Parts: sequence; C-alpha cells; structure tokens
Amino acid sequence: MNLGTGVPINDHVAARWTKEEKDTFSREAIVHLDHLYRVARYLVKEPDEAHDLVQETYVRALGSHEQFTPGSNMKAWLSRILYNFFFDHYRQKKRWVLIDDNSKDEEYRSDYWEKVPAENRGPESHLLASELTTKITDALRRIPEEFRLPIVMVDIGDFSYEQAAEILSCPIGTVRSRLSRGRRLLHKHLKDYLGVKKD
Amino acid sequence: MKCDEAKELITALVDQELRDPERNALEVHLTECANCRSALENEQALKQAIRRAGQGILAPDRLRDRILSNPSIFPEKGGSASSWWDYILPTAPMLRAALAIVFLLALVLPMFYFFRPAGEPIAFAALQTYDLFLRGELPLHRVGNAKEIEVQLSGAVGGRFHPMGYDLSTMNLRPVAALVQEIQGRKILVAIYEGQGGSLFCYTFLGSEKDVPPNAAKFFDADKKMNLYAFSRDGMNGVFHREGEVICILVSAMPMKELLALAQAKAKPS
Repeated sequence: MNLGTGVPINDHVAARWTKEEKDTFSREAIVHLDHLYRVARYLVKEPDEAHDLVQETYVRALGSHEQFTPGSNMKAWLSRILYNFFFDHYRQKKRWVLIDDNSKDEEYRSDYWEKVPAENRGPESHLLASELTTKITDALRRIPEEFRLPIVMVDIGDFSYEQAAEILSCPIGTVRSRLSRGRRLLHKHLKDYLGVKKD
Repeated sequence: MKCDEAKELITALVDQELRDPERNALEVHLTECANCRSALENEQALKQAIRRAGQGILAPDRLRDRILSNPSIFPEKGGSASSWWDYILPTAPMLRAALAIVFLLALVLPMFYFFRPAGEPIAFAALQTYDLFLRGELPLHRVGNAKEIEVQLSGAVGGRFHPMGYDLSTMNLRPVAALVQEIQGRKILVAIYEGQGGSLFCYTFLGSEKDVPPNAAKFFDADKKMNLYAFSRDGMNGVFHREGEVICILVSAMPMKELLALAQAKAKPS
C-alpha cells in the first residue's frame, strides 16, 4: 500500500470502470464513512473542514480505485488517503491551531505515575459517561498532533501499530512511543475526571 | 527493569502489541511494582474511554447526503432518507395518524405460517422464505413507504418490538413490502427491500444467540463489541446479529462480503 502523498484522479481509468464495479466499490467505501468522519474531526478544527476532508477522500478514492487491492483493508486504505490529503492541504496551512502544546514542559517530562492520587477517589469523582466523552474529545484536541494522530488511529480507528505506521508514514516504534507519550498527556488533562487507581 | 523503561511497554501491552521477550520482562516488573500496575490499569481504562468517545462521533446526515449525491462518488443519487424512526417520530399529529394506520393496515397484513421441523433454526426458514420470494411464490402486501411498513409490523406484535429501521438507499434498495411470519409460535417481522441493488429481507424477532444457525461463521466487530454470524445456503446469504433481545437477520443474494459490511455498518451495540 503506497499511495504517495497525493492521489491523482484518473478520469481515463474511471471511464473504463463499469458502473456496476463503481457502485460496488462505492458501497463498500461508504461503510467506512463514520470512521473517516471520526478521524477527520480529530484532524481539523471545524466540522465543515471535516466534511470537506471526508468528501475529498471519497472523490480521491474513487479516482484511484485501481490502486486498491480487492480483499485488502479498505478502511486503512481510505484512512491513508484522508491523512495524505490532510497533510497536503490542511496541515501545511496550519489551519489547526494547537491550543495547548506543552509537550516539552518540565511538567510533561515528569513522571505521570508520580501524579497518580494516593487513593482512588471513588465513584463520586466520575462524571457521567457522556460528559467524560466530551472531556476526552476536548482533551484529544488539545494535545499536539504528533501525539494525537497515533491515538486516533489505534484507539479510535482500531488499527494495529503496523497499520497506523503505514497510514501515518512513520516507523512502528514511533507509533508506540508517541502513543505512550500521547496517552500520558491525555491523562494529564483528564486525571481529574478519570477514576485513577493506585495500589 | 526501571519504571521509565516500563512506560512504553505498558502502552504496548494495553494494545496487545507486546511480543514475548519484552512481555515477560514487563510481567516480572509488574509483579514487583504497584505503581506500574496502577499505571497499567489506568491506561487500559483511558484507552476504553477514548474508544467510547470516538464511537460517539457519527457522520452527520448532511455529510452522508452530500457524499451520496456527489456524482463523482455515486453516479446515481441514492436518496437521502433517514432511518424509519425519523419518519415516524417528528410530530405528535403524525404519530396520531400513524397509530390510526396501525389498526387499518394491520388488518390487511399477510400472516405467513411456516411449518418447520421443531428445532430447526429460524435463520434457515428465513433463507427458504427468501427463496420463495425470488421464485415469485411468496404472497406479499406491497406498501408505499417505510413508515407504513414500520407501523404495520410493529402493530402486528402489539408494539412489543419493532422492525430494524434501516435506510438502505446507499445500496439502491428501498422498502417495498411487509410480512409477518410465524415459525414455531414465534412471530417474525419481515421487511422486504427491492431496487437496482437487487433484493434483501430484514427479519426481526425476539430471541437470543441460541438462534444462530449451526456452522455460521462468527465475526467480532471490535468497534461495536458485538458478534455477527454469516451463513449461506443455495446461493443465498444471511447475516445474524443481536441487539439486546431483538434479533436481526439480513438475507440477500448479494455477495456475502457486501452483506456482512452492510450488517456491520447498520448494527447497533446492545
């Protein structure tokens, strides 16, 4: 799976494609709409931008369908197209504003294990699930993109490290280390809301 | 092993991506270090919370419509109807009208009694009914829209449960008929879809995973944390899933891969 960073739309190839083949491909691709939208919402700031990103992903996927190997992982393939388009057209324009990029702070470098409260605060410290979901979504948007992306791919997209590495064009070890650091950053943002535990 | 070294390994363990040599070393460390055991539990809980947060984000209908109506993606507009519930729940006057329709249309709804050997799975009866349909031998009451089908079928079981309200316009399928089938004393609600995409039956009934046909292939949807079961006979395919105590079986002659993807996309976790 190597799409490069931009996927050209090839009208000639598309024209040779039968309507039935295109329909089948489109139907299979549309199954992943929720997943693509989820990823897009964590990549860009505004919902409208996420809409554009997802729509363009589908247009590009249809335009480059010959690069898809039938039977392979379409969800991963579409995710790669989405990420490449984001990288080319959104990220470099810096349309996503990092609210809280403090990954190099002393606080971040300190050990988060040390910050675990000495006692479990118990169920009263837990918010309702929906509120926690909102907190997590906000917190994810606050951490730097380099840490957010592996979390989005692995925890939300349910991709393996290998698949996430392929989508994000980075080594598997980088995915693992950024996931680890990213979760610690998230934990920092959410420690007041999550039920933390210490033996 | 020091705690600093354990950090990344704990992450990989949470993700089930840790291979044996590192795993063994970490497990030894975890038996000795209470802080790292707590960190492991915290990270597991965080991962689950993140997953749940992600699952709460769904593509809005506006985006779905925009993509379905984009000729570069779908050559023919598949329509933008929402779930059946959207038709039936918008206003109180509509609800009142719908309830009136229940009593009128339930009278004409065909009951199809299907006598099967005791103990044979309902899923196989579903395939047989679909086969009758394909051969044009199934008595059908055709209706004009999804709302009528929902009202009729729900009314047939006194509202105890409702047919799965799927919008299959992306598959070029629209609901065209309803049927209530009684098998071994159990009422099965059948919504029938037809269109350029072929045909599909959606069976809804009360049951459990004991109703899964033998030899069905089991698939686990990690996102939704639910099982789907695929089975086939004589060129017809079926996908079984459970939402609480309600069972849904989709039956069609479409390729199993497509049917499974459809069921996976539409199924909602219990």
